[in-house]
Amino acid sequence: MKQNRSLLPVTLAGITGPALLLCIVCLGIIPRGFAAENAAWSIQVEPVTAEEGQLPPDFSMAIYEDLLTQLAKTGQFQQVYRSGDHQADSVPNLLILHMTLLNFERGNQTERAVTTVKGATKVQVHLKVSTRDGKPLVEKDVQGTVRLFGENLKATYALAKHIAETIRDTSLPGPTVAKAAGQ
Amino acid sequence: MPTVLENTRSPISSSLAAALLLLISLFCARLYAQTADTTNASGVRAMHVLGLEGVKRNHHGTLTVQPSGLNFDAKGARGAIAIASIQDVFTSQDSHQTGGKVLTVAKMGVPYGGGRVLSLFSKEKVDSLTLEYRDANGALHGAIFSMPLGQAAALKKQLVDLGAHASIPVESQPEKKDDGGTKQ
Repeated sequence: MKQNRSLLPVTLAGITGPALLLCIVCLGIIPRGFAAENAAWSIQVEPVTAEEGQLPPDFSMAIYEDLLTQLAKTGQFQQVYRSGDHQADSVPNLLILHMTLLNFERGNQTERAVTTVKGATKVQVHLKVSTRDGKPLVEKDVQGTVRLFGENLKATYALAKHIAETIRDTSLPGPTVAKAAGQ
Repeated sequence: MPTVLENTRSPISSSLAAALLLLISLFCARLYAQTADTTNASGVRAMHVLGLEGVKRNHHGTLTVQPSGLNFDAKGARGAIAIASIQDVFTSQDSHQTGGKVLTVAKMGVPYGGGRVLSLFSKEKVDSLTLEYRDANGALHGAIFSMPLGQAAALKKQLVDLGAHASIPVESQPEKKDDGGTKQ
């Protein structure tokens, strides 16, 4: 009997080890499953729409370029197309990403470094991902901020990262399902 | 009787000396940067912020305007934008902290908030040049370059003179200053 008691912790350790490993493997597979589902889509990114003078051109271009990089990095889409790319015209399963500026607040890097609480740069956009025929699949307000370290343009990187994460975390319907729902 | 010489320097005075040394090295670095970043005969010293195909981000190099277009030459990297493909050219002003990550970390190490005081002296105003252009497939690209103050307008003028399209004329473009906290 004494021998059985002493073996119990060893047996528990033997079970929990593989069980933990199985959980980790499953957690790794589930997001991949979502990614594989979305991989049937391609996406075309349009630059931020803003009223004249509301968003500096360097910020607008930085958001656009950063977003292209971040979306490509997720591996969620077959192809990531730029605005106006003729190659996207013949792509059947194409999503179009639109952004409308909601708020832009230009901060100051020196103010951030000196005070640590003031001088944040903030960019907030309304994100809309829709099919070619205009059916919206994702709609959300997303914000990018640089609060302490880094230049003002770092806010665009944060915004692009948040947008890519938002799309990644949304389970998009398959292209056939979306088309059937649109009809 | 032997006399023992005690070290009378307090930790505060040694910290102040370190801060002073950092301040001096900072000014030296700024002086060097000012002399190194001036326009040379063949182009403008600039930093590629993002967007140029084949060139890594935050790469330093030389920007030159040729009849064919804008060229950026850096160590081991080269990028070009044809004049005909340029859709728009913008210039703006911004200010940033000099010294990069090294100085940021060093400033964090200065005691009694001395690093924050140093931040007041380690700022530098820069010009930025933003180009919107399209490739052979009609795809929109954006490239941003950062350069010493007063250089971007001259580059924009050269590009416009060669036929690049600019929605805002060179003279009338308002310079966006980084005055902090402006809600737009």
